[in-house]
Amino acid sequence: MDITPETVADGLKKARYITNERVETAIFIALALEKPLLIEGPAGAGKTEVAKVLAEMLGTQLVRLQCYEGLDEARALYEWNYQKQLLRMQADEAQDLRWEEVSEHIFSPEYLLERPLLKAITAPHRVVLLIDEIDKADEEFEAFLLELLSDFQVSIPELGTIRALERPVVVLTSNRSRELSEALRRRCLHLFIDFPGVEQERRIIELKVPNLDARLAAEAARFVAAVRKLGLRKPPSIAETLDWVRALQHLGVKELNTEAVRSALGVLLKHEDDRAKVESRASTLVARPR
Amino acid sequence: MASLSEQLGRFIAELREAGVRISVAEAIDAMKAVATAGLERSRMREALAATLVKEEADRAIFDRTFDRFFAGPPRQAGRRRHPEHPGMAESAASGRGRPGETPHPNERRKPAREPEGKGTAPGEEEHEQSREMRATAAERETGVGESRERAVSSLEPGSEGRRLARIREIERKPFSAYTELEYEQAREILKPLERRFRIRLGRRLRIARAGRIDFRRTIRAGIQRGGLMPELRMRSRRPRHVDLLILADISGSVRYAAELMLELMAGARNCFRRVRSFVYIDRLAEADFEQGHMVCSPPLDLYARSDFGRVLAQLWERRAELVNRQTLIVILGDARNNRRPARADLLREIAQLCRGVVWLNPEEPARWGSGDSAIEQYRRAVTALHPSGSLRELERALVAAC
Repeated sequence: MDITPETVADGLKKARYITNERVETAIFIALALEKPLLIEGPAGAGKTEVAKVLAEMLGTQLVRLQCYEGLDEARALYEWNYQKQLLRMQADEAQDLRWEEVSEHIFSPEYLLERPLLKAITAPHRVVLLIDEIDKADEEFEAFLLELLSDFQVSIPELGTIRALERPVVVLTSNRSRELSEALRRRCLHLFIDFPGVEQERRIIELKVPNLDARLAAEAARFVAAVRKLGLRKPPSIAETLDWVRALQHLGVKELNTEAVRSALGVLLKHEDDRAKVESRASTLVARPR
Repeated sequence: MASLSEQLGRFIAELREAGVRISVAEAIDAMKAVATAGLERSRMREALAATLVKEEADRAIFDRTFDRFFAGPPRQAGRRRHPEHPGMAESAASGRGRPGETPHPNERRKPAREPEGKGTAPGEEEHEQSREMRATAAERETGVGESRERAVSSLEPGSEGRRLARIREIERKPFSAYTELEYEQAREILKPLERRFRIRLGRRLRIARAGRIDFRRTIRAGIQRGGLMPELRMRSRRPRHVDLLILADISGSVRYAAELMLELMAGARNCFRRVRSFVYIDRLAEADFEQGHMVCSPPLDLYARSDFGRVLAQLWERRAELVNRQTLIVILGDARNNRRPARADLLREIAQLCRGVVWLNPEEPARWGSGDSAIEQYRRAVTALHPSGSLRELERALVAAC
């Protein structure tokens, strides 16, 4: 596929991802310059979704590495399959092989457990590599990633250097639970995804929840946008908005009023104090004039 | 083409001058990005932003500089401040737009990112602008408040970026330049900071802990390899045995720093075995938080003149109760003693008794030791001395200290 801004916009549309020019352009530049894309923004604004949609758009596989505290190379890159190596050594015992021969056997790709990063590099075609919530990983791991992201090659002492056949499309996401290093930021393109505006969210709702009354979709989008501005502990994500609208649909709600809001608020808000805050203001939030 | 790269070079230079950090590699990326994305204005803006702006907090500066530098089509340019420079206005504008300054409201273009915003009639756009103008003015006055105007303005994309920029500004601002309002704002952003601090501290403590062998987990891990090449698994120890003793100067000059630190440390309580907080001016008083407000007993005379020497003498008397080998003492103060005896000898003695004494000085290092500052005397008595003039420095110093 030719990469032009138009094909990217088209591809996103086909993958049913509604977004704005900012996101489209950033994705396009990332593809064109073959650079990793670092996406930041509030939780639930669709950061991870970008990688999924990209994989769908490029018709390729998504390789995902979920970061967490204590994530190390063995979990992220590769590990030798010790059990299998042991079996092999025991099977070879009878044949009385020299050590060189044995080690040649047991340190071959067959005994290598590929973790996501190596998988993305050795894939025969271009894949999308999602490194999710990089801010959760330790700083040392970030430093290790730098090397990988700039050269797309890794060295395994027993096997030598493995270079990517096709550079993967790399997407990193961060929730800012800690500051990322300047070095990482420099190597990536940067994209900030905020919650969608009312209009954009309305279109998302209409796309993802079929057979929905258009007026209810607009009202819901406006309500959620207003709720997000209350300074809650956890503002509702797009996915939660969609669940909530589906719930409203199942409850047979035709029009968003105070009662309807109260009936399914648990789908939208997951903290008791958030709920109390919204419930106490439900009437003003619903009645906001267009 | 040459002139385009020249223009971009100048654009980047101006961004750098406004405080955005841009490396050479990033500048090259930006050129490539424009070359592939084309010159269509809004697309070029996003292409440049993706390659040059690596923190959302810088986005507002970028947008401002972009608007000034690459003026839009003439129809729009008529309403702007530099109608006589339709192409480039950098010579007239250089030196302006420093990070702290607010732009002239008219210079703010309504970001035409939302599709519905594109087709608005000129009149409506005018209205939009004035609405945003009011909003930003209100924002400047109320800060992070919840005014209705702010609610309107945060509908616009980029509001999150402005909030982040504000947070960053407060984090970096010296305590000595705080206004009462900024202090309140700093307290508001302390919550996420507290979480970040706790995570960082907890992580360090966990790494430092290498306890006894966990027999069960070692065997479990060894089974994978038939008991060969066992890897030792360690039992993680419960809270590290550190008793924290905090002494914070709450005299006028460093009050903000002291109160913010006490609040920050209150959030990290369970990283330590015991935490005791004291505040002082000329005497020692135990501090406690009750519903977000600090209470100290016995009450302190807020108009007294600082005397840390006397505080040290009091601490020395109570050393049996307050100091043991596991105690880490964190002192925050500017060591301005009004030329009273510094008693650094007592501090040295106390340091011998405990795990360590760390001094955090909110004053800027250039002024240390000048006038009635006794910090140079104390410097030789403590284990470490860190500058902590802003929230960011304070956090860094505390992580290093604990």
